[in-house]
Amino acid sequence: MSFKLNALLAALLVGCALSVVNARYQARHLLIELERLQQHARQLDIDWAQLQLDQSTLGKNERIEEIARTNLNMSRLSPARTQYLTEGAP
Amino acid sequence: MTRPNQRATPRSNARVAASKGMAFTKSPVLAVRLPDWRSRMVLFVLFAAFAALAVRAVWLQGVSTQFLQKQGKSRYERTLELPATRGRILDRNGAVLASSLPVRAVWAIPEDVLKSPPEKIRDLSRLLEMPEADLRKKLDSDRTFVYLKRQVEMPIIAEIEKLKIDGIDTRKEYKRFYPQGEVMTHLVGFTNVEDKGQEGMELQHQKTLMGVAGSRRVIKDRLGHIAEDLGMFREPHQGRDLTLSVDSKLQYIAFTSIKNAVEKFNAKAGAAVVLDVHTGEVLALANYPTYNPNDRSKLTGEQLRNRVITDTFEPGSTIKPITIALGLETGRIKPDTVFDNNPGYMTVTGKRIRDTHNYGVQTVSGIIQKSSNIGAVKVAQMIPEQEMWEMYTKIGYGQAPRYGFPGAAAGRVRPYKTWKPIEYANMAFGHGLSVSLLQMARSYMIFARNGDIIPLSFLKVDEEPVGQQIISPKTAAQVRTMLESVVSPEGTASKAQVAGYRIGGKTGTAEKIVNGRYSRANNIGYFAGIGPMSKPRFIIAVMVDDPSGALRTGGSVAAPTAADLFSSALRAASVPPDSSITDIIIPEVPLEESM
Repeated sequence: MSFKLNALLAALLVGCALSVVNARYQARHLLIELERLQQHARQLDIDWAQLQLDQSTLGKNERIEEIARTNLNMSRLSPARTQYLTEGAP
Repeated sequence: MTRPNQRATPRSNARVAASKGMAFTKSPVLAVRLPDWRSRMVLFVLFAAFAALAVRAVWLQGVSTQFLQKQGKSRYERTLELPATRGRILDRNGAVLASSLPVRAVWAIPEDVLKSPPEKIRDLSRLLEMPEADLRKKLDSDRTFVYLKRQVEMPIIAEIEKLKIDGIDTRKEYKRFYPQGEVMTHLVGFTNVEDKGQEGMELQHQKTLMGVAGSRRVIKDRLGHIAEDLGMFREPHQGRDLTLSVDSKLQYIAFTSIKNAVEKFNAKAGAAVVLDVHTGEVLALANYPTYNPNDRSKLTGEQLRNRVITDTFEPGSTIKPITIALGLETGRIKPDTVFDNNPGYMTVTGKRIRDTHNYGVQTVSGIIQKSSNIGAVKVAQMIPEQEMWEMYTKIGYGQAPRYGFPGAAAGRVRPYKTWKPIEYANMAFGHGLSVSLLQMARSYMIFARNGDIIPLSFLKVDEEPVGQQIISPKTAAQVRTMLESVVSPEGTASKAQVAGYRIGGKTGTAEKIVNGRYSRANNIGYFAGIGPMSKPRFIIAVMVDDPSGALRTGGSVAAPTAADLFSSALRAASVPPDSSITDIIIPEVPLEESM
């Protein structure tokens, strides 16, 4: 009886030990994955900031006016040739 | 331990001492007679040595654990820097005005670099946009660390790394980018190479914008992967974003108007500011000449000056509505009270004050519309000095401003007890005291907002601030009517008329002080206005410094600039027109205000 119990406990112990090894291994891998993804997130943040900056640079009023005037032959609006619609008016 | 064996072996082949008939090895002379204590001694020493090892082991394992643990950690633990970025600066609609991006500083160990082939150094100098001679000069140094170039952008760094030059390395740093460039720079300011604010809002809000880098401890494995996270050593603090009150579109409009004005009137400088009447937000603040904050290598003091906030000047005729408002408020005058301005000049304690024309008999409204100095002085003479001083103080003249902008000027209003009669008379038409353009624009709040004044803000305001009542709504409305009459074909600001909108305002011209005297040839022209008059939305103040063309007065240089600004700004803000007049009448010889 005693021998059987000992054998069972020993087997259990070995099993636990192996599962600890496995868990550590898994944890390490997940950590590496997490690090990699965090790095990726940081890079995406930087890219996002870069894109917002580009948007602001390209959307500069000066540039828009320049393109509107020269490429698109647009001119400034004047009240004389604007029809104003009043909400609720007949 | 046993005694040496003395057994005799007859078959032994040992030599025999024939004389005594005894084997040599059995000779008693050879018998070792060791005392007992020696063996015990050896036993004891060995035991003691083991005991000492055991004690040492216990000592290291149990008691003095720190030293070895520290040594161990330093061999497998690493401290990782956690970067923190400086916050962005945004305009009221969320457009980026300033943003930090990671770049690299390129540094070198000169000795190692000079060993590499010359064509590689040539490539490096090309990539760094630096003449080869300059690069070699930097490398010709005894030091072991030399910065070659700072704030190099990432694509270039990638190419430099491809060259694989020994002794070249990079260090991470941040560079601040200002996409709006020279248009917005006087407001936003800039940072230095260490990412620290130097001017404008960058300086004012350095503490909140600034990011503080953190660090954490990790265990790294042989391959450089992080094997275990040991937690935060120092928490990083990301810089907070800052949303300004400025509107990029209005700012651009203000900037182009002022730039065109300076070029058209051949002026030395110009400035304009646009305020929101309801919230006190600064919607635009433009200065010309200006500079590009992304490239400050040729920066001069003239370009750096913020003429709206840090410069003060004599307000000239733009102060007259304030004088009149106080007269109306205290019941001393009414809009139709009549003043005799004949014969076009008057004398106060022996000094002469004149108008450009003899305006004859004028009502209070006429005094504002024609900008009569004599009329303003006559109104002021009815008001005690102390009341006038209190009025100036309440609307912020001579008071340290609290807008939250570095270097904001307070202007100068001397204590009323020191005013001489002639000085008080001069103040009635804006001489002998100084204000900044922003203070002047703010003081017009009392007319635009039914008599109260609110604090200004450079940051976006979510709720309307509570105002401080200065004059009654009735007085404010009366002055508004007068201001609107100024911007008419009969007023001094006929050129400030805008098609489709009712504008009100006041022109001003001040002589500049050159070498300690007022100079007739050097003027500053102003216009401070409100629009649209039916439902005030913007206060716009414009200053044109030292126009050197044929046109020099506020009415002829600042007023048309303000009109240009008003028409674009009101349209851009989708304000419905409140006037059906679409063709502007500007008289051939517009009325000029006196100085």
